[in-house]
Amino acid sequence: MKPFIAFTKKEMLEYSRSYKIFIFLILFAILGMLSPLSAVFMDDILENFMPKGVKIEITDPTNLDSWMQFFKNGTQTGLMIMVILFSGMMAKEYEKSTLINMVTKGLSRKTVVLSKFTAALILWTVSYWLCFLITLAYTKYYFPDGKTANLGLAVFSLYVFGIMLIAVLLLGAVTFKNVYGPLLLTGGFTLILFLVNIFPKAAEWNPLQLANSNMRVVQGILKLSDLKYSLLTAAIVVAVSLVSSLKIFDRKGL
Amino acid sequence: MDILTISGLSKQFGQQQVLKDLSFHVPEGSIYGFIGKNGSGKTTTMKIVLGLLKGDSGSIEVCGEKVKYGHSKTNRYIGYLPDVPEFYNYMTSREYLKLCGEITGIPTGKINGKSDELLSLVGLSNINKRIGAYSRGMKQRLGIAQALLNEPKLLICDEPTSALDPLGRKEILDILQQVKEQTTVIFSTHVLSDVEAICDRIGILDNGTIKLAGDLKEIKLRHHQNCLVICLESKEKVNAFVNSERIRSLRDSADVQGTTIKLKTERPDETMSMVMNVLVSLSIIPSKIEIAKPQLQDIFMEVVE
Repeated sequence: MKPFIAFTKKEMLEYSRSYKIFIFLILFAILGMLSPLSAVFMDDILENFMPKGVKIEITDPTNLDSWMQFFKNGTQTGLMIMVILFSGMMAKEYEKSTLINMVTKGLSRKTVVLSKFTAALILWTVSYWLCFLITLAYTKYYFPDGKTANLGLAVFSLYVFGIMLIAVLLLGAVTFKNVYGPLLLTGGFTLILFLVNIFPKAAEWNPLQLANSNMRVVQGILKLSDLKYSLLTAAIVVAVSLVSSLKIFDRKGL
Repeated sequence: MDILTISGLSKQFGQQQVLKDLSFHVPEGSIYGFIGKNGSGKTTTMKIVLGLLKGDSGSIEVCGEKVKYGHSKTNRYIGYLPDVPEFYNYMTSREYLKLCGEITGIPTGKINGKSDELLSLVGLSNINKRIGAYSRGMKQRLGIAQALLNEPKLLICDEPTSALDPLGRKEILDILQQVKEQTTVIFSTHVLSDVEAICDRIGILDNGTIKLAGDLKEIKLRHHQNCLVICLESKEKVNAFVNSERIRSLRDSADVQGTTIKLKTERPDETMSMVMNVLVSLSIIPSKIEIAKPQLQDIFMEVVE
């Protein structure tokens, strides 16, 4: 346990000294603020951009607009930032052979993989929920009467989708030894999820639901029972990715 | 007692046989020079000892325990300094040693004291900048400090001086000399002067096998072949000297290179006085004349060729 804590601490120190922690927190805080604000000011923004004399009718913004922005920003920008920032998690260690010293000192290879995953998970968790809390606070402030159904489930499912991407990214990072391999694997994996979605029967099991159906959850159209298979698939993907990463890393030259 | 015993080790990379039935042993308390040309298999041997590579056949024992690939428990006896050690550039040396200590399972209280001791041994105790700003020599010294952190019985250094300037090289050799009291050192190199400076035992590796191994002094004695070196000032004088009657009788053992003549001899004193007589009779004044001591380089060339 002590080596695991020591190596996870080392990972966090790396994220801190390479300013990744700050980049994460600042970007996710900005995303968190942007969602409710853009919902509130969308009217004014559109009006400014319209040619004179053109009138468009927009209904008053609601808290749902704010959450729509949150899930759009969260999935498109937030997940993208996360994947890019984490893509080099193994590449540098391989490239500079920094792990040789650790492993010859008795650090087990499993600990390396699990520490990498844990540190990334911590960073994702803190940034994501920070983003959510900021959006929640602003939304409550601007739209005090707004109602949502199953907000917790909607937010949680996007969080799980993020964890799944981290696990897939880690598998790529362990396997390909460079920065592009994990990016391509994660990109390819997401693409496959979109392709699977073409088949309506598979959609229920598709973890993509966790990232693209959040608004329908917030509006009360979908419930936990509709998402449970997607959550299960995501958990299986995480488990399989982690176990494969451990197995593959055991056989990798450092 | 032997700290390291390698017997019958073989390793093949694709078609290339890197190690062929390699066997040698390193007794406790020695500084063992593991000598070989580039690509002779030194690093491969060390990586197999550390369990980073798998040998095809043969066995290795460290402190009487067998080395197993992958889960090498024997590494707890070993400190390892790679040829170009790489650390986490964003850490300071103290932070790095702390990480190493925690991974090895050294009690937290002990890590700080040991770090201070080692950093002062390698001359880094007053340096607080991050490792990224270190010179190569400083990284090499930090490498020794981290390798000694768990008080290893065997310190393995892979070409520790090859990439350093003369000053850095001397610092490393001095440190290794000091460390000798506490641990057995094996270091691979192709720099023979480094070996002569600090090693007491050597093994010469060539084409994947040990060609010569043992106590350095004994080896030098065994391969002791006296040689007179005579340097003259011009080619004409060399010709006159070599063609003189008494030298001609030694023709087989004479080796002329430019204006330098080397004479191999069983009885150096007698030959020397004869040579001096010849020089006087020819009125030739040599610019240099000496009985040369055997050099490790000569032994190495002889063994490897």
